[in-house]
Amino acid sequence: MKYAVTALLLAVVVGTAMFAPGGTADASHATLKVMAPANLTAGDSVDIQAVLNSAHGGEAVPGATISFYMDGSFGGVEGKVLLGQAITDKDGVAHLSYLPRTAGEHQVHVEYLTPGEGEPEVATWSHDVSGAPHQFYQSTAGVQIPGLNVWLLMAVLAAVWAILLSVAVRVIAIAGAEPEPVAGAPASRSRATGDW
Amino acid sequence: MEAVTTARERLERAALAPVTGTSRWYYAWVAFLLMVIAWGVYAYSRQLHDGLIVTGMRDRISWGLYITTFVFFIGISHAGTLISAILRVSQARWRTPITRMAEFITVVALCCGALFVIIDLGRPDRVLNVIIYGRWQSPIIWDVLAITTYLTASIAYLFLPMIPDLALFRDRLAGRVAGWRIRLYDLLSVRWQGTAAQWRYMGGAITTAMILIIPIAVSVHTVVSWIFAMTLREPWNSTIFGAFFVAGAIFSGIATLIVVMAVLRKVYHLEEYITEKHFVYLGYLMAAFALIMIYGNISEYLTTGYKMEEGAEFHFRQLFLEQFAGFYWFYLIGGLVVPGLLILLPWTRNIWGIVAAALLVDAAMWVERYFIVVAGFRVPLMPYKPSVYAPTWVELSVMAAGFALFALLITLFVKVFPILAVWEVAEDLETPELAPEAGRLPSGAAPEPAGGGSR
Repeated sequence: MKYAVTALLLAVVVGTAMFAPGGTADASHATLKVMAPANLTAGDSVDIQAVLNSAHGGEAVPGATISFYMDGSFGGVEGKVLLGQAITDKDGVAHLSYLPRTAGEHQVHVEYLTPGEGEPEVATWSHDVSGAPHQFYQSTAGVQIPGLNVWLLMAVLAAVWAILLSVAVRVIAIAGAEPEPVAGAPASRSRATGDW
Repeated sequence: MEAVTTARERLERAALAPVTGTSRWYYAWVAFLLMVIAWGVYAYSRQLHDGLIVTGMRDRISWGLYITTFVFFIGISHAGTLISAILRVSQARWRTPITRMAEFITVVALCCGALFVIIDLGRPDRVLNVIIYGRWQSPIIWDVLAITTYLTASIAYLFLPMIPDLALFRDRLAGRVAGWRIRLYDLLSVRWQGTAAQWRYMGGAITTAMILIIPIAVSVHTVVSWIFAMTLREPWNSTIFGAFFVAGAIFSGIATLIVVMAVLRKVYHLEEYITEKHFVYLGYLMAAFALIMIYGNISEYLTTGYKMEEGAEFHFRQLFLEQFAGFYWFYLIGGLVVPGLLILLPWTRNIWGIVAAALLVDAAMWVERYFIVVAGFRVPLMPYKPSVYAPTWVELSVMAAGFALFALLITLFVKVFPILAVWEVAEDLETPELAPEAGRLPSGAAPEPAGGGSR
């Protein structure tokens, strides 16, 4: 019995010694860091750099795919919104051009999934975006014809409504017209009452 | 002179008769319409409660009966513009007994049509977002602007020539109808006494409004077509959509006017004023627009079918051979060719033949709008299985309520406002060749082409 307990304890110790370093190694194959300013202005583009190094020795890891995410919600559904993906260069740096559109505090999650491994390396970049919200869409396509724009539409519309207003003014003038007798008609009668 | 005076008295009686007398049939008709509307309101309440899932509309075919009916109503609103404004500009005097009906169809159809846009929204409480968050680049905004402007101009154009007639009602009906009506006539007749200055002001206002309303009306249906044509979707990607929509609108507008005219003529015994001549002249106009529509269809389908770009083949098959073939051939043959024949062939060129043609045109033009909307959406933009749209009882009920509302508003209008443009018809009485008797066609005789008549 004594030998059996001793053998069991020995097996537990040896097993722990074999498997525990393996899990640690999985999680530390690579280290991921994000380099970007912490304060941004809405509408100003910024270059996010994700730096990927080997956990052992710190060498740069080129040719790896890095994914950039943000937390988002749409139609009441929460989830991760993919901003883009980039490949690390020879220095292990992946670049992503990022255009913050709304003011406030945001987080961008950078992710690297080691081939063959289940758990990704994740780094998070928190940043504050300042500036009032406004439309950032800039139309670049199409042919810009001078004078053919929204102001022309407004001018046409204003002209139409001005003419309609002139009609309304004439109705007011009808109501305000001085009564005058119609030739040959009794004073109490008028064209309105049958004497056309 | 005595004969003219008698004719005037008959005219006044005819104009006043719908207001002063009400039959049991009238109440029964109104009750029926109210029941249909009440059922439609109940159906709409289900839609409000459960959302658009109770309709047949889904993500791929997201417009159905509601938008079809919206386009149809905006189309028939062109009745007033064409009959009243264009014929007034061209001084076609035969128009005078029917202008009021045409103008009122315009206003009622616009109100009913605009209602269907709101009904189509899953969240009607957000309707103002179109204005608040609207963008000038969007055809939806153009549409809102065009329709509101057209509605305002149409109300003005309905109201202006009605002022002397409202004054006539104010004076003639005092003590014969409820007090609120007299107060209403008094208010709306803007203290009309028929002075020279008032006639001058009114003439100027009518002239301004009639010239203004024609381009506005054309713009409205052009812009409605652009809601489709500004989209890169095979059946809608057309440069002639605007012209096609305007022609179709006038076509269905004339048809609706003929139907309404026939009903009111029969119910209120207006045979002396709305004669066969009016039906035939309007029939000629309708036949002319049938030819324009046939030409437009050939031009559109021959050019796109000859090139047969990706997507066009699917659309052609569903329209001419498969999914929608039965109804589409009805539109082409029953809605364009047969009405034209009914009008042009001498033995059907009478009131019944023209009313039958008008009913066919109205049905066919609704069907055409349905195919523009639903068949257009059905063409797949990606290689997925084509969607199917089947309207539910909710949509059918709401649509029926829309048409019942249209009929109800016209029915109520006739009970309150002058159905005939009394003063304009009275002016015609002083011109012997334009007197009502001249409107009766000798048996077998064809009238002169539309637009005839001289001042």
